[in-house]
Amino acid sequence: MSTRNNTGTGKKDLGEVIVITSGKGGVGKTTTTASLGAALALRGQRVLVIDADIGLRNLDVILGLENRIVFNIVDVAKKICKPAQAIIKSKKSNNLYLLPASQTDDKDVIDEAEVRYVLEQFRREFHYILVDSPAGIEQGFRNACAGAESAIVVTTPEVSAIRDADRVVGLLSSKGIESRLIINRIDFEMVRKGDMLSVRDVQDILGVEILGVIERDEDIIKAANVGEPVVYNQKSKAGQAFTRIAARVCGEQIPVPTFDGGSLWSRITRKLGVNA
Amino acid sequence: MFKALKKKLFGESNESKELAKSRLHFVLVQDRTGLTNEEMAGFREEMVKVIEKYFVIDKEGFDIKYHRLADTTTLLINSPVIVRRSSSAAAAARAVVPEEPVEAEAAVASNI
Repeated sequence: MSTRNNTGTGKKDLGEVIVITSGKGGVGKTTTTASLGAALALRGQRVLVIDADIGLRNLDVILGLENRIVFNIVDVAKKICKPAQAIIKSKKSNNLYLLPASQTDDKDVIDEAEVRYVLEQFRREFHYILVDSPAGIEQGFRNACAGAESAIVVTTPEVSAIRDADRVVGLLSSKGIESRLIINRIDFEMVRKGDMLSVRDVQDILGVEILGVIERDEDIIKAANVGEPVVYNQKSKAGQAFTRIAARVCGEQIPVPTFDGGSLWSRITRKLGVNA
Repeated sequence: MFKALKKKLFGESNESKELAKSRLHFVLVQDRTGLTNEEMAGFREEMVKVIEKYFVIDKEGFDIKYHRLADTTTLLINSPVIVRRSSSAAAAARAVVPEEPVEAEAAVASNI
């Protein structure tokens, strides 16, 4: 799926730009951007994560970099600073950088052409550029999509989030941007009881390739509390899930876990509390 | 007793996800087609009429789905046919033909 060629075969060596979006707010876009960025960096890829949520920046706090911000995306777009002055190296990795959003401007302070200009400043330096989109489908969303080669749409297995994801997939498709889906906060116990849409249900409804599935995990909240992407905690299910997602982004073929029901025997043993 | 056991093993509840699914299908058809409730109902009614001109169908099972694939969007109209109208007398005399879902597919322009 990923067309990126990192093998240094002499092709144009420009980073791949991926927008992380969702339509609905609060489904985990920023967490996904930070964790996927960190997971790709752990694989040795040079990664820039861009916060395109101008006015409501959050990627900086998820990465624990809020006290290091000097310049931001608007400063780069308006040529107030040099591009290299605005990016901040993460605490945990030499491969992961953040370009923060401006907190004091409106979404329409920059346009799509300016976003493309910003991306061009960094595409030679990085293998992957992940753009964290604001919620909604207005100017902020359009800005975040400008220059993106593909999209990762984050949803949860809920009616409202899936409906918005569908709308966003349609809008991206009309821009010629292909979407892959991350299903966040799934609870396989609820799926088993028939009280939550399964991975297959969501895939059938949206008709989009599933890039990954992340279980509801308290470790994500703890990671956000301390400002370290959850992927550094490889004991956590979410951390492992992001590691697998990063591998898939790099083109590795790893099956997506679905846990749709399971065998009768596994249901019985689970119910009886036996860890089979 | 068996029901209770089944409930315990399969966690059988009211299966709220089935309702979630059908509600999603409903809103997504609206969102994707841009048709209003009334227009959708009108479309459905007319489709049923057209098919009923030629077939006896199970209206309960009649279903319109809107599938988006990579680069095309497809309208899937699923209409269980009970028996062909033109040969209904002959068929009834033989046996009741089991419901055979007939899927009429119409490719609709992409980029909705």
